[in-house]
Amino acid sequence: MAQFLAQTSLSGLAPELALAALVCATLMAGLPASGRRYWKLIGPLGALCAFALALTTVPAVEAPGLIRVDGLSIGWQLLIFLAAVPFALLLRGEDEVPTALMLGSLLGMGLLASAGNLLMLFIGLEFMSLPAYLLVARGARRAPAREAAMKYFFAGGTGGSLFLFGLALYYAAGRTLAFSASTGPMAEAGLALMGVGALFKVGAFPFHFWLPDVYESADPELAGFLSTSMKAAAVLLLMRVAALSPHSGFVRCLPWVGGVTALFGALLALRQQRLQRLLAYSSISHAGNVILGVGAWAALGAVPGEASSIYYYLAAYLFMSNGAFLFLRQTGLRERCEVTGLSRRDAPGALLFAVLLLALGGIPPTAGFLAKLLIFWEAIKAAAYGPVILAGAAALASLGYYLGLVRQMYLDEPLPAQAAAPARPGDRFGSIILAACAAPAAVLGLAPWLIGVFSRLLSP
Amino acid sequence: MLSAIWAIPAAGGLLVLAAAGRWPAKRLALAVAVCVFALSLALPWAAGPEGLSSLAQAGPLWAYGIRYSVGLDGLSLVLVWLTAFLTVVSLLSAWKQELSAGFWASFLFLEAACLGVFLVRDLFFFYIFWEAVLVPMFFIIGLWGSENRRHAAMKFFLFTFFGSVFLLLGILALVTMHHSATGLWTWDMAVLRGPSSGRAAVVVFLALVVGFGVKIPLFPLHTWLPDAHTEAPAAGSIMLAGVLLKLGVYGLLRVALPAFPEVSWSLLPWLGLIAAINMIYGALCSMAQGDLKRLVAYSSVAHLGFCVMGILSRTPEGLAGGSLQLLNHGLSTGALFLLVGCLYERGHKRGLSDFGGLFAKAPWFTFFFGVAVFASIGLPGLNGFVGEFMSLAGMARVLPILAIAGVVGVTLAAGYALPAYQAVFWADPGPGSVSAKVTELDWREKSLMWTLTLLMLWIGLFPGTLLSLLDSSLRGLLL
Repeated sequence: MAQFLAQTSLSGLAPELALAALVCATLMAGLPASGRRYWKLIGPLGALCAFALALTTVPAVEAPGLIRVDGLSIGWQLLIFLAAVPFALLLRGEDEVPTALMLGSLLGMGLLASAGNLLMLFIGLEFMSLPAYLLVARGARRAPAREAAMKYFFAGGTGGSLFLFGLALYYAAGRTLAFSASTGPMAEAGLALMGVGALFKVGAFPFHFWLPDVYESADPELAGFLSTSMKAAAVLLLMRVAALSPHSGFVRCLPWVGGVTALFGALLALRQQRLQRLLAYSSISHAGNVILGVGAWAALGAVPGEASSIYYYLAAYLFMSNGAFLFLRQTGLRERCEVTGLSRRDAPGALLFAVLLLALGGIPPTAGFLAKLLIFWEAIKAAAYGPVILAGAAALASLGYYLGLVRQMYLDEPLPAQAAAPARPGDRFGSIILAACAAPAAVLGLAPWLIGVFSRLLSP
Repeated sequence: MLSAIWAIPAAGGLLVLAAAGRWPAKRLALAVAVCVFALSLALPWAAGPEGLSSLAQAGPLWAYGIRYSVGLDGLSLVLVWLTAFLTVVSLLSAWKQELSAGFWASFLFLEAACLGVFLVRDLFFFYIFWEAVLVPMFFIIGLWGSENRRHAAMKFFLFTFFGSVFLLLGILALVTMHHSATGLWTWDMAVLRGPSSGRAAVVVFLALVVGFGVKIPLFPLHTWLPDAHTEAPAAGSIMLAGVLLKLGVYGLLRVALPAFPEVSWSLLPWLGLIAAINMIYGALCSMAQGDLKRLVAYSSVAHLGFCVMGILSRTPEGLAGGSLQLLNHGLSTGALFLLVGCLYERGHKRGLSDFGGLFAKAPWFTFFFGVAVFASIGLPGLNGFVGEFMSLAGMARVLPILAIAGVVGVTLAAGYALPAYQAVFWADPGPGSVSAKVTELDWREKSLMWTLTLLMLWIGLFPGTLLSLLDSSLRGLLL
């Protein structure tokens, strides 16, 4: 025990420790009924504090085997905590529960990011998911939110159990829980099952079925959180699994899974009439691109520093997706037909949404463009030509709805009833956050030097 | 200096938007466009005796060989002149209409993006500018076009983006191939070379050709063009035909052919065949049109076939002629769209049968339209002849059968242009004619047309200056 403590400084776990302390404090103290606005800062402060602590973390191996902080951990923690800030700032509800749930979920993601063996990975996975089910269940529209939470719970539980089963097989094959390669059919099967568990969480075809319902029924800002922080953590999970044995059969399939998911999501999004559901399918499509990137990254040897294109994609998507869901929150728009002629009713809002849509569609010079370019490039480097063509087709198909929405907002004539309806003014606070998401989404594509920065961040 | 050429219109566009309501948007936009044109004319002097290449500049290396760099040679210079000039023309062509600041700003953004394409030497930024062209054009067609504008705008964007996906994948594959062959990451157009043979090289080259071919447009990727040209406002059609189509051929000349000289040579019969189909099919479609604007749009398909045929031949006369034809087409088709726009502004109709007997009412109109039509047909003495003749002469040395197809195309051009000219200006007006509403060109339109006419005459009679400019920059492509 003494030796264990001597080897363990836990400095690598600083963000998680801070989050854990905050969760306990929030739950124990509760939020006083008076001066609520002041107490609402705990959520965003917690996320930012974890972000700052992650920034100062140095790579280390802690509590031997359990925690291993490497470049990927630090990079992903930064991404995850930053992506949670808009959601944290806009938390609804009068009590302390949402704050605690959000911080708890972040804690799980942080643990997942700095997990040093497969078991910690699983613990992190469950830790981040459980609060998310509850957050979905507490949505503003009660009935659909509860139904979605149930679906989310069962799908997430299935993913988690598949992962656990795969973990058991993998352990049986190699007699170790460490991140080390094992061979043999049992290890292959274990790896594949763990990978499928991760794909469930990412929302890849054909394990995506829960995602549209959940994203549609959750509050928009929560959907933004799920599609950025949660998805980034799930992608890291997939990367950790893929990196175990980059040349196994499962990992070789990943680019195809990615390409098919990208195209499938885009094609289904084309026909959606409800905006939040449309964005949910669009998020499936984006996840497909990321999975393609993960597959290519693994095929190229799974070197942490080379993950910068995946990282860039997630960083760009952080702004685009949060921004797009926030726009829905701010304007209260639900149906697709409601955006028709929006540029005439709410010019600044329409402009922000148009920028975000073009960024999601990958039009230069937006962040989404460089993100797609990097992923496609990675795939071409890995000689995954078929999947990259699928992803290219998905990019084209996705313009059908991204550009279609821009067309509706700017070119189409509003129906008389819509023209008369006044634009619902969102609160100014939310609008500022929305603008803060749209601005980086608009210009980050002109910053290819960020690739170098990310590359250094991921392999310090 | 070179970066300023595209940065000034971009900044000008933002300024026009920001100052909307306070300053007159169109005057401001015109001032910026004229300023850019003047600056582009001054470029050869700025270069001094060391030649145009002395203007090249490069920024710091970013990652994976991506580096912002601009450069200038004869080909770029000619196309920069064309873009800057046609922007002024198209802004002036819409002068009398009451349009919001967004319209005028869109043209400046469009100009900035096109100039960027012609100036940058790094494929990464080339692609950014290439795509950035789409957004202002989407709004120009979609917001200020005629009845079917929304459909045309979507079609334009989706079709060209379809090409862009191929282009992007092709560029990425090219960069990766170059890296695996040389161990060097670079996006520099002058350096990038693909493998000289093999299936991968053919596939990547074809991806680039599809990417550029949608913009050119090459048969059968041309179907967006008639809709977009017809539905766009007159000023937008001038830019579309005059500048945007040139981007595709420029891409072939600058990226696809230099990177794959051998592959492109081995595919010459097929690509040449497509160019020939462009000429003949474009001309035949043009003959069948009853809508003046659509007719001119299809004639663009035919004309671009000449450009492509010329440059594919890779002979000195073919390359110089094909690229001169880019300028020629910009001027003559720009003039035609300008005049058709004037007709539409007066009569609100575009059909061939809606007019007739305009000669008696508007002799200047007739004269200028005639000049543009004859330039477009390729009458000796006007600019079109030089370009078409040299393109075909180049191809005749390589694959005579295609040159013969090209001669058929020239003949067919007379078959669509002259009957249209006859129907609108000389024939007796039919029952539903709106000729009575058509008035003579005013001094603004006349001075624009005089400028265009003199330019067409100048190129037709003294093409030497431009040809030597173009020739010097295309020598690397010679076989």
